[in-house]
Amino acid sequence: MTRVKPMLLTAFAAALVAGGALASAASPAETIAARQANFKKMGGAMKALKDELGGGADKAKLLAAARTLAATARLQGGLFPAGTGPSSGVKTDALPAIWTQKPVFDAAAGKLVAEADKLAGIAGSGNTAAVLAQFKVVGGTCAACHRQFRAEE
Amino acid sequence: MSTDTARVKVWDPFVRVFHWSLITLFAIAWWSGENHEMERHRQAGYAIFALVLFRVFWGFAGSRTARFATFLKGPGAVIAYVKAHDPEAPTDGHNPLGGWSVAVLLAAVLAITVAGLFAVDVDGIESGPLADWVSFDAGRMASEWHEGVFKAALTVIGLHILAIGYYQVLNAHDLIGPMITGKRDRAKGEITTDVTWSPVMALIGMAGVAALTWAVMGGFRFG
Repeated sequence: MTRVKPMLLTAFAAALVAGGALASAASPAETIAARQANFKKMGGAMKALKDELGGGADKAKLLAAARTLAATARLQGGLFPAGTGPSSGVKTDALPAIWTQKPVFDAAAGKLVAEADKLAGIAGSGNTAAVLAQFKVVGGTCAACHRQFRAEE
Repeated sequence: MSTDTARVKVWDPFVRVFHWSLITLFAIAWWSGENHEMERHRQAGYAIFALVLFRVFWGFAGSRTARFATFLKGPGAVIAYVKAHDPEAPTDGHNPLGGWSVAVLLAAVLAITVAGLFAVDVDGIESGPLADWVSFDAGRMASEWHEGVFKAALTVIGLHILAIGYYQVLNAHDLIGPMITGKRDRAKGEITTDVTWSPVMALIGMAGVAALTWAVMGGFRFG
């Protein structure tokens, strides 16, 4: 549980570098695999938060999961370079609307980062009700974005 | 047995209530799942879980026609039934072919329900009550089985309805009425007796199923 260092600026810089590098060097298949792996980490962190909120509400575990979520959320927006949609021929649930409505998508990605940061800020506070409320706000940003930009299987 | 010698009771009330409740709850679960009404979906799932568990118990402790030992026949009997098939002749309960379709459907619905208990959605937000015992990846896999077996079950349900339509419409052999009233007409000279069941066994089954369902709903976390 020590793998996440919440140095926001460092993470932001890393995200820019990673996103830029992937966009320029990686193939669509690699980028899609990377963003799916990152989504899985986010899902795992959400599940860890939910399990703790419904069970022991361990402060350290909540904080670790919230930080994982905030760090992975920060990377996610940069993992959608042009040419990595369904037209790339790689199997993806990403809808073309991501690229045709790029400003809307980027705003949604930014909202996730902001709400995940808020969650990381209070996750270790011991105020379970507040953490649960913010967890639901974060979950709402996942769901809203998925409704608009993710294909239903 | 019965004073009404023209009619014979073939389905006990538990089999009938199980059958029609399952259809209703399956429809609710399907609709709520498609529309992301996950709280309602879970509730329908708990009810289906309880129903199927009771039906499995009743398959050992229920009335004559409810028991697996009565209606699950070997391949020889199934083939013989199909060869000598007279669609107008009544069977005492499930016929040798239909019995297996019932078993497959029961197994499928049980598998869907159990997978659903461990399922996690793509966002890690919505999940079954036992999902906190497994990893995110295992929960996602459970979710895929939940949906995969559901789709397979729809096919079996389709076959079930077609088979009933074959008897009901093409052969004027009423199967739906008896599943509602429990009774069918006796064939000429037939001496099949009414089904009987034990209220004590029914109570034992309901108590056991209620306890297990309650434990599952709480994720097996006590205190």
